[in-house]
Amino acid sequence: MTRPPDDGTARPARHGGRGIVLESLLLAAVALFFLNLSPLGAMSVGHRFSQDLVYAWFGGAHWLYPRLPAETKPRGANRPRVVVMLIDDAALALRGARWPVPIDFHAQLFAELEVLKPRAVMLDFLLIDRATAEATCAFLTAAASMRRNGTVPYVAVTRPEELAALEAGNCRDDKGQLLVARNVLTPVSVRLQVDATDFVNRRYPFEERSAAAAAGTGLASAAVRLYCDSLGPSRDCLERLTRERPVDAGFELAWSPAGDPFNQRWSQARCDEVPSATQAILFKKPLPHETQCPPIATLFASALLSPAEDASFGLRNEELFDLMDGAFVFVGGNFRGGGDLMTTPLHTRLPGVYYHAVALDNLLAFDGHPKIRKEFRGHRLGYYLFDLLVLWLLSLIFLQRQAWLSTGRPGAGGPFDLSPAARSLISDLVGRLPTALWVISASVFLLLLATYPLLQTVVVLGVIALLVLLEIRVAAQGELRGRFRNLALYLAALALSLIVVALAIWIGYRWLSLPPVDWVGYLSFAAFGFFVAHTAILEFARRVDQIHGARRTEGAGT
Amino acid sequence: MKRLVLTAWALAAVMPTLARAAEPAAATADPCTTLNNRILGPRSDNRPIPLLRETTTHGFTPACSVPWSVISPKNEALPVEACFHGSLLQLANDSACGAGTGKLWVGTRWVVTSADLAQEKQHAAICQKLETGTWAGTRALTTECRPRTRELAGFKVDDKPAKPAAPAPAPKPDEHQ
Repeated sequence: MTRPPDDGTARPARHGGRGIVLESLLLAAVALFFLNLSPLGAMSVGHRFSQDLVYAWFGGAHWLYPRLPAETKPRGANRPRVVVMLIDDAALALRGARWPVPIDFHAQLFAELEVLKPRAVMLDFLLIDRATAEATCAFLTAAASMRRNGTVPYVAVTRPEELAALEAGNCRDDKGQLLVARNVLTPVSVRLQVDATDFVNRRYPFEERSAAAAAGTGLASAAVRLYCDSLGPSRDCLERLTRERPVDAGFELAWSPAGDPFNQRWSQARCDEVPSATQAILFKKPLPHETQCPPIATLFASALLSPAEDASFGLRNEELFDLMDGAFVFVGGNFRGGGDLMTTPLHTRLPGVYYHAVALDNLLAFDGHPKIRKEFRGHRLGYYLFDLLVLWLLSLIFLQRQAWLSTGRPGAGGPFDLSPAARSLISDLVGRLPTALWVISASVFLLLLATYPLLQTVVVLGVIALLVLLEIRVAAQGELRGRFRNLALYLAALALSLIVVALAIWIGYRWLSLPPVDWVGYLSFAAFGFFVAHTAILEFARRVDQIHGARRTEGAGT
Repeated sequence: MKRLVLTAWALAAVMPTLARAAEPAAATADPCTTLNNRILGPRSDNRPIPLLRETTTHGFTPACSVPWSVISPKNEALPVEACFHGSLLQLANDSACGAGTGKLWVGTRWVVTSADLAQEKQHAAICQKLETGTWAGTRALTTECRPRTRELAGFKVDDKPAKPAAPAPAPKPDEHQ
């Protein structure tokens, strides 16, 4: 960094690689700082919304969210399906019950579900309503029978002791064994986590515990417990997911804008509609329209309880068995005014049970390694070092490109800079007008542009065409050739930067399990705009280096 | 008298057709209104069939799950003793799950009835809707239960009430058909 300051542009030292390496490192560190600058969390909303856009428009892509194939019984899929079963007023009416769902209805549903042989059934209802000992006993008996036949029953609680409140009297199974809730049911947490600034349920907690309790000692969240239990009795999975996490830690939920094709049988909304990402980029569309077709296969309890509600499962229930056999089933409520709702990252509201179902689908899709923000990681510094490395590469490309552009040949400079001939022609034209007149005219013109967005597009395109024509007319042949060379150089550097960004996203998402919120910011550095805006720091560094060099020379002289 | 009986038979034969003509959308068989409905066998051969019993509070509770051969040892069609909201059928059998259960009930999902066979070609599901609105209210708030009104038309739902279904009162023994 011993080059004296020149015209103030960001042109790195011409001699040797050391200068450009150090300057690019400094620029990358500044970029990293601004990328993560969020005083009072103000910028994090923008980052999260960027993530929502990524899932809204690319969530259908397999690399971003590897979902199961469309078939009810996916061929070749080595992971089980997640199914939501919704209880509504119609289902309750079929068994003469009413909301709130009585415990004996759950008992009946357990008995019916047991026949379908799912892997696990999670009841997303808090069993807090008063029930008779007879009804509670029937429920525990059904749950015990289910467990005995290979289906693990889980039940939502707010704290583990809640199960003790299930008073079943002297309830015994057919072998005379006393049935106790804590031995029959596995309690799970169903706490929802929201992003505090916009109340969207993007994150799924690993466990529920107090701030004073150690990580890993809390009540595991439903999806986490179901996933880890499916791997076997070992606690390795639970420990891996919960250790060294802050109390509010959670993993990001990947979402798909497309519904599960199974739901087309009952949904009036299209389930196969995947929004076009190209259209979104070109026309800067926001999130896609809300869809009422959820991304998880959904069976209404009324369809299970009465073939008149859904006759399409076949005369022998073939499709029903295909759907449920070996599946993880989440039973939740779908009641008008029930209040158990979640806001998805696609800003669609769904019954709360989908929160847990999508979380489990994420765990299965990412093989137990869901996407976790850097702030909830144990060795956080390493992830920021990775960020720095990526930004270092990008700033290196930027500074190297700047160095190539400042060669002093004809047409040197940025590919979009005006040539001296064109500048001279324009200033001559403007100079014929009184200063007050052109300043006021320009101000009115810019005011109109600011007011009417359509005018902006028309004028920008018109000005670009005019300047290109002007350059072709006034610039010398040699200068034009130099300009085309610079344009090619610019595009090549841009392409190289995009390759670096794509590689960083692939490593970050696939191998480091970082959610889009942690890497979507790289894209803003591919077009160099950020680096251009912050090259003043390089001038500062060069001055400091110059002073340091001068002192060293003085010291050597004395 | 003979003429009256013949007229009744003729009406009984024509009624289902008339009903279907009047309600083309609601073409699913209602096991509670089909005459002489009988349980012909299990829907799925090798699966146990969940059976329910009535509770002392006139609700239902699981009794046991048994194969069809226990319910009908000679694999014969069984008469439907009573019906509940199109979802449950009462069997004459009161011993399949041991003593003291009373007459057992079976879900229409698990057995094939003569009413089902009449509707074999029906392959539609009733359109459903996710309830994503919220109300200000508590569990203590009791509101009137309205009949569910909707019609089945392929995969489309018309807002116009077409086939009023039974509301959900607490079941009483005398309600069973």
